[in-house]
Amino acid sequence: MNPILVLGAGPAGLSAAAEIAELGAPTILVEREAYLGGNPKRWHYSLLAPDLRPSDEILGPLIAKVEGNPRVQLHRSTTVTKAERLPKGFRITLKTGDALETQEVSAVVLATGFDHFDSRRKFEYGYGRYPDVLDFKELEGMIHDDRVLRPSDGKPPRRIAWILCVGSRDLQVGNPWCCRMGCAVSIKQAVEIRQKHPDIDAYVYYMDIRTYGLWEDLYWKSMQEYGVKFIRGRIGQVTLAEGGSQLLATGEDTILRRPTEVPFDMIVLASGMEPGTGTQEAAALFGVPVGPEGFLTPNLSDMNPVDSGLPGVFLAGAATGPKAIPDSVTEGMGAALRAYQYARN
Amino acid sequence: MPIVEKSLVTVDRSERLEIEGIDVSGDWNTFLRSRVQTDLDVRIVDWIRSQPQGDTISRCWQCGTCTAGCCLHTDYGLSEFNPRYFIYLAQVGYEEELRKYATTIWRCVSCNKCVERCPKGVKVEEVIHTIGSYLEFTGGAPESPADRFDRAYTENLLRRGVLDEASLFRTYERMEGRTMPAGEMLKMGFQLFRSGRLRTGPLAHRTRGWRRFGNVLREKLKEDERCRRASLSAAGGTGGHSP
Repeated sequence: MNPILVLGAGPAGLSAAAEIAELGAPTILVEREAYLGGNPKRWHYSLLAPDLRPSDEILGPLIAKVEGNPRVQLHRSTTVTKAERLPKGFRITLKTGDALETQEVSAVVLATGFDHFDSRRKFEYGYGRYPDVLDFKELEGMIHDDRVLRPSDGKPPRRIAWILCVGSRDLQVGNPWCCRMGCAVSIKQAVEIRQKHPDIDAYVYYMDIRTYGLWEDLYWKSMQEYGVKFIRGRIGQVTLAEGGSQLLATGEDTILRRPTEVPFDMIVLASGMEPGTGTQEAAALFGVPVGPEGFLTPNLSDMNPVDSGLPGVFLAGAATGPKAIPDSVTEGMGAALRAYQYARN
Repeated sequence: MPIVEKSLVTVDRSERLEIEGIDVSGDWNTFLRSRVQTDLDVRIVDWIRSQPQGDTISRCWQCGTCTAGCCLHTDYGLSEFNPRYFIYLAQVGYEEELRKYATTIWRCVSCNKCVERCPKGVKVEEVIHTIGSYLEFTGGAPESPADRFDRAYTENLLRRGVLDEASLFRTYERMEGRTMPAGEMLKMGFQLFRSGRLRTGPLAHRTRGWRRFGNVLREKLKEDERCRRASLSAAGGTGGHSP
């Protein structure tokens, strides 16, 4: 049997590669970056919602399963530049640095993931202009290193606001979908900060809170046990407060029905999920249809969420839409099984 | 703040003075205060959470189930009595807006329908009263004639342990700076006399052993006052202007 190609080594890709190897088939795992673990690794995610376990505890074992596995051929800092369809599978060209290498594979799992929305595009929030306006993926790194300090002056903040739905549910930036995890991750960050620094006041500006399913528990706890405050209303703009040391969040408190201009020491933007550049390239390379949002479209999203509908091409993780890590890991397993069945027959 | 066209301003008063058909009420140069809310005061919710009856406040997520069933809000039609809203104002810390309801908030009749229905286990009735207490302790509402009467009544009662109606009436008249017409006074004096309540000054009724009991009562009132101040400052509260 020719090996099965897994494209992308985030949670979904790692899970797929590990399961294919477990089934006894050879695997080629290709990752464009020099490290394994995808976005969680790239941005040094701290604790992961909903169980608040350290991301290394979840990704570590997944990485360990593929690293040093004799059935998994690992290609870091590598991209697929060409894919020719064969009667069964593909002939692919791998590019590592300047070196090209051609291999035949019997099936493909596309686990090319997402990119965080570039918050600079939501220019009203001043991200990139004001150092104390952070993207929440950056705050993840700060929490991970336990250094929650204002980038402008290195002082600890007294009051932090989270703005949800930045680059999500927003026609102005062309992203009408919900990112699914922005609420949970923001709330989780507020909880982590309140746990370690109870003197920091945490406010979340929201339209609705979408901590779906069992994640609701996190939302409840954040209010009851950690005193995180929720203010309904979407912030319209962020400016510098008088004196220039604080940020002014201008919005409407839609429950109070009054405009608000509240000073904060730090403002955190919950940037949404967009189809990653890798996902767009993979769609072109393997001819997988994309939806209006730019994510890969499964053939039957209800019955066969991991099938692309094209022979030998399977999909997993956030390449098909915003997804949490547990769901991505599950889809990786599903795609591994489907790819294995296809390759074996 | 700008001077605003009169027709755009809703003036909160019903009496108007008109002379020869011209409104001379004198609110032409009405100053509008800014509606922009510029701060959030965490001390309110911190204090409320620190009280045994108020700790469920932080569970509230503003669904409105409580207000929907509130007999004051719906059946009685007291639209400004909105428990959900009071909780939000306290939670987020809009002190000024909350203080507008310092009197209204005490109109809760404790039917507890809100507590029965709350999907998140907020003890709404207790929380509402705790918010009311916070407002009361930190300045309350502007003192009304009724408040002044209550004060005069308590002081009068504490003197001898039994009410001296005639003296209470004189004190209250003095406080309000007005007197009743002589005819009314005579009528009331006669009624008080007939019912045996005109015994005032040296003739006033006395309570046996009042000196001791009264001292205990005064001590208790002082102790209550100390407790509330201590709890306010312990929660980093405003402690502020006393009632």
